[in-house]
Amino acid sequence: MEDVRILLVDDERLVRRSMEKTLLRAGFDVDTAENVSEGLELFQEALADEEDGPFDIAILDLNMPNFEGVDDPDAGLKLLTKLLEVDADLPVVVLTAFDEVTRAKEAVARGARAYFVKGREAGLIELVNDILDVE
Amino acid sequence: MPDNVSLAERRATLLHAAAKVGRNVTSILDPELLLDQTVDIICDAFGFYYAGVFLIDESGEWAVLRAGRGEAGAAMIANGHKLKVDGHSMIGAATGQRKALIALDVGVEPVHFKNPYLPDTRSEMALPLSVGDEVIGALTVQSTDEAAFTEDDITVLQTMADQLAVAIHNAHLHTENRRLLARAERRARLLEAASEVGRDVTSILDMDELLNKTVDIICDAYGFYYAGVFLVDEAGEWAVLKAGRGEAGAAMIAAGHKLGVGGHSMIGACVERGQARIALDVGEEPVHFKNPYLPHTRSEMALPLIVGDKTMGAVTVQSIEEAAFSDEDIASLQAMADQLAIAINNARLLKELEAAHAELLRTKTFEALATSTLVAIHWIGNKALPISTSVGLLREDLESLHDTDPDLVESMLEDLQTVEDSARLIVSVQEHLIGPAREEKPSPVMVDDVVRDVVVKMGISSDMVTYHIAPDLPLGVADVTQLSRAFGYVLRNGLEAMEAVADPHLTVEVVPVNRGDFVAVRITDNGPGISEENLEKIWAAFYSTKGARHAGLGLSACAQILQQLDGQISAYNAPGGGATFELAIPVYDGILPAVNLSSDCSLLLIDDDDPWSRFVERVIKDAGGQVSRSVDVQVDLDGFDLILVDDALEGAEIRSVLKHLRAAGVGVKTLVVASSLRVERTMELMPFGVRDVLLKPYTRAKLAEIVHL
Repeated sequence: MEDVRILLVDDERLVRRSMEKTLLRAGFDVDTAENVSEGLELFQEALADEEDGPFDIAILDLNMPNFEGVDDPDAGLKLLTKLLEVDADLPVVVLTAFDEVTRAKEAVARGARAYFVKGREAGLIELVNDILDVE
Repeated sequence: MPDNVSLAERRATLLHAAAKVGRNVTSILDPELLLDQTVDIICDAFGFYYAGVFLIDESGEWAVLRAGRGEAGAAMIANGHKLKVDGHSMIGAATGQRKALIALDVGVEPVHFKNPYLPDTRSEMALPLSVGDEVIGALTVQSTDEAAFTEDDITVLQTMADQLAVAIHNAHLHTENRRLLARAERRARLLEAASEVGRDVTSILDMDELLNKTVDIICDAYGFYYAGVFLVDEAGEWAVLKAGRGEAGAAMIAAGHKLGVGGHSMIGACVERGQARIALDVGEEPVHFKNPYLPHTRSEMALPLIVGDKTMGAVTVQSIEEAAFSDEDIASLQAMADQLAIAINNARLLKELEAAHAELLRTKTFEALATSTLVAIHWIGNKALPISTSVGLLREDLESLHDTDPDLVESMLEDLQTVEDSARLIVSVQEHLIGPAREEKPSPVMVDDVVRDVVVKMGISSDMVTYHIAPDLPLGVADVTQLSRAFGYVLRNGLEAMEAVADPHLTVEVVPVNRGDFVAVRITDNGPGISEENLEKIWAAFYSTKGARHAGLGLSACAQILQQLDGQISAYNAPGGGATFELAIPVYDGILPAVNLSSDCSLLLIDDDDPWSRFVERVIKDAGGQVSRSVDVQVDLDGFDLILVDDALEGAEIRSVLKHLRAAGVGVKTLVVASSLRVERTMELMPFGVRDVLLKPYTRAKLAEIVHL
């Protein structure tokens, strides 16, 4: 389990930190980024990381500043696309608002493995484990 | 034959008497008094048996006795004694020929009328009463002496008669002047009243005050018994009393006094024709309404209130006198009514303008508030999201410390619970407020199916619900996700109302209402009902009767959702106890696209036997396809092109159904259909390997899209 590396990208500091702690306690190795550029950078660095290896799963918020630094509801989708360009098999979970079914489905259509409603973290560990079990 | 001395003395006496009469009569200004006193003064001064004054009537044909000496005079006046001008009588001749006549020894004078009231007359003189060229009447003086008058006497007495004529004329002029003055004063007062109405009505913005002030001014200025203002209602059917003078007015308004437009009442006729109506002896006027509140009315006038070509109502003015209204009254009152009509119209326009302005302000404020509130709520809600996660972590930590100081840890855990509950409330407020504000995508829906699905998905036991569904219900039109949300709020409200009930039960009735324009869903619980006081308040946001753990947003969100889909929502206490919430959803009145279905598709429908599943079966079979329906999936899964699973299953647990399908390798052929879509639900179902989670199709066209017929 200690081998599982998670990339968590969210611009909300408190959300990021509380999710990070939840994942850490579950025994995952978590790296966080506060924007999409930093997230992409961490992901690429990890690919070359001989010690810890690449990320096993990425958890991305959808609504945050995009690569140009402008607030963008689809910033997470743009990062998703870039990550999958590098690793088409990377499991990605996107974080959405509670009733954004259409956007959640769009994320799946663009390659996300699952979506998750922010603020319902209780089921997040289970979801991550499910996805990794299937892998 | 009298000698010269006695002749001179007699003349002096007559002149003296004539002067005395002249002095006395010229000082009397009242015509009646003047005439009455004149005959006495003449008789006393000259010692005559009788004197009488005739005045020519308006027609100029008759000389009418207006004053006569003594009882004889009074009797003749009472009998209407009059003589033809230019007739055979001495008075007739005196008035007709304008000359004095003398009859001595009246027994043989042919011109003299034998008057039974004056049997003792032996001499008579008739003297014309003239002013300028005009003869106004004649004076008769009579004596019991034979040959009492000479031609010489005529001159003296005619002088006196001339003075009398001038005095009578002056007295009449005086009376006429006084009458004209009074009329001028009244006219001034009416004009003042009219201008008062004009002045006041432009400064009074409040309609009630305006109308009440008007009726008071009319009654005070004209001295009328009663005045009232009627305004025509919106339907144009009734003239409704809006202001009335005094207690009668107040009583009639309290009784909701109204008169049918075009009916038999004066007001009704006046409003219909836009014309003034006058009844001067109302007892005989057929058009008059015998009003028990105004028993003394003898004259009534109804004046229309007209602006442009529209009659807005009418003013009634009533008097206790018969024939109380002069032409002038009518003209000035109508002028006042015209001003009043303009003022009422202005007040109405102002009111409309104010209402429109208030509505605009409300809308704009609401929009501004809604926009900024949504942003703020979104922000606050997002900030509150990590709280529950952090609380979860803290709780774990605390529990690991439990043995060190159990009491302190228990206390801290309780505090954490408070923090968590508060955070959850903030997040739920976000969802309640933002959810209903989302843009709606209305489409035709089977309303009964939507409410059934919500009941199932809320886990409400089927034993607890009784359905009364009208047959052949039309499709409603609504955003199905929002409609589900509204049903969810009402059902949750019902469940909570029944928390203390031993045998909780819900009744769901779905029926067409409003001549089939709406489909109503009536959800009745058997809880304690809603107090009268709360029946209106429950629709307000943040109002809850259930204590602090409720944000009080469910029903206000419901109202917002129903408003957005042009429906209606109401709450009332059911006759048999409990509360009923009625949600009326507009019926879809568009034309459903004609779909020419043809398919050899083989469909497995996993659903309960309900109207929606029967709809799907019918459509697919009509198109030539095959349908099998099952709830428990105990069927051979081979050979189906498509498997449709209803998200709301009563007879089975959907997760086990989906697991079974995945295990059988038919997940990719499986579509879950739901009457509302939420991320968590799709998130929950998608991992079972289904192809998609979609909104339920309620029309042939939508079904065709999904099944690719």
